[in-house]
Amino acid sequence: MSHCTVNGRRHQLEEGETVARLLERLGVAGRYALVERNREPVERSRYEEVKLGEGDRIIVARPVAGG
Amino acid sequence: MTDDELIIAGRSFHSRLITGTGKYASFAQMAEAIDASGAELVTVAVRRVDFDERTGDITSFLPESVLLLPNTSGAETADEAVRIARLARAGGLPTWIKLEVIPDPRNLLPDPLETLRAAETLVADGFTVLPYMFPDPVLARRLEEAGCATVMPLAAPIGSGRGLKLREAIRIMIEEARVPVIVDAGLGAPSEAAEAMEFGADAVLVNTAIARAADPVLMAAAFRQAVEAGRRAFCAGLMGERRDAEASSPLAASIAGS
Repeated sequence: MSHCTVNGRRHQLEEGETVARLLERLGVAGRYALVERNREPVERSRYEEVKLGEGDRIIVARPVAGG
Repeated sequence: MTDDELIIAGRSFHSRLITGTGKYASFAQMAEAIDASGAELVTVAVRRVDFDERTGDITSFLPESVLLLPNTSGAETADEAVRIARLARAGGLPTWIKLEVIPDPRNLLPDPLETLRAAETLVADGFTVLPYMFPDPVLARRLEEAGCATVMPLAAPIGSGRGLKLREAIRIMIEEARVPVIVDAGLGAPSEAAEAMEFGADAVLVNTAIARAADPVLMAAAFRQAVEAGRRAFCAGLMGERRDAEASSPLAASIAGS
C-alpha cells in the first residue's frame, strides 16, 4: 500500500487515486477546492487525470473568511 | 454621477466600497452585510482544510455577481505570497490577488521590499495585483511601475478602527497616483471612510468596522452611504477653507440697521 500526506496527515492511497478521487474520499466539496502537490499547484482542469504517488505531499486548501 | 465608475484593470465597478468576509458571527450575517454594503469586490483568505473541524463553503454564501478577491494573508515572504496566489488561481479562483506580505505579527505592517518583489513576479505571471502597503508615495510609484492595478495604503493598523492616522501620506499618494488608491485597513467609522473619499481616495476596503459593529448589517449600509457621500463631495469639489468668517446672508439693508 502506498501513502501520501494530506495537510500533514498520512493518507493511504487507493490504486490509481487521482486528485478528484482524493477530494471525493475526503469529502471536500464546494466551488473551490485548491490543491498543491509537492509544492506545485494543480490546475483544477487536471484533477481527474493527476494521479497521486508514494510520498506525495498534498495540500488541500480553500477560500475562508478574511479581510 | 451615474457613470462615475471605479475602473480597476479595465473592469468597472459601481460600488467604491470593498468589503472583507472576516470576523462575522456567521456566514449568513456576512452575506446580509455584504448585500447591504453594495460591495462588488469581496476579499477571502486561503487556508488549508481542517479535516477535524468542518465549516461550510464560504463562497456558497456569496452571490455570483461579486468578484472574489483572494488575499495572500499568512505570507511572510514574497515566495509564500506567490505560492498562495498560484494555488488560488490553479483552483479556479480569480486571477485578481490582494497581495499582502506581513512578517510582523504585532503591528501587522506589510514588508515593502517583499511586497514589491512578489508584485513583480505576480504581474509577470499574469495576475491582477492589488498590493496592501504602508502609505509611502515612493513605494506606491515603484508598485505602479511594477504593473500593479491599484495601490492600497493602510489608514491605521489592521483591525484597529483608529481611522485616518496616516492621512497626510495617503493624500500625497492620491496626488501622485496613476492607478486607483484604495484605503485599506484601520477605518473604524463611516465618517472616516467619507473623509478618505472626500479627499480623493478611489475606494475604501472595510472589514472589521462592519463585522464587529453591534449591528453589522446596519453598519454596512452606513458605510455604503458614507462612501457614496464622500465620493459625491469629491466630485462636487469642496469649497476650500478660509481663515475668516464670511456671512452667508446679505450684509446690506438689514432691518435692524435702519
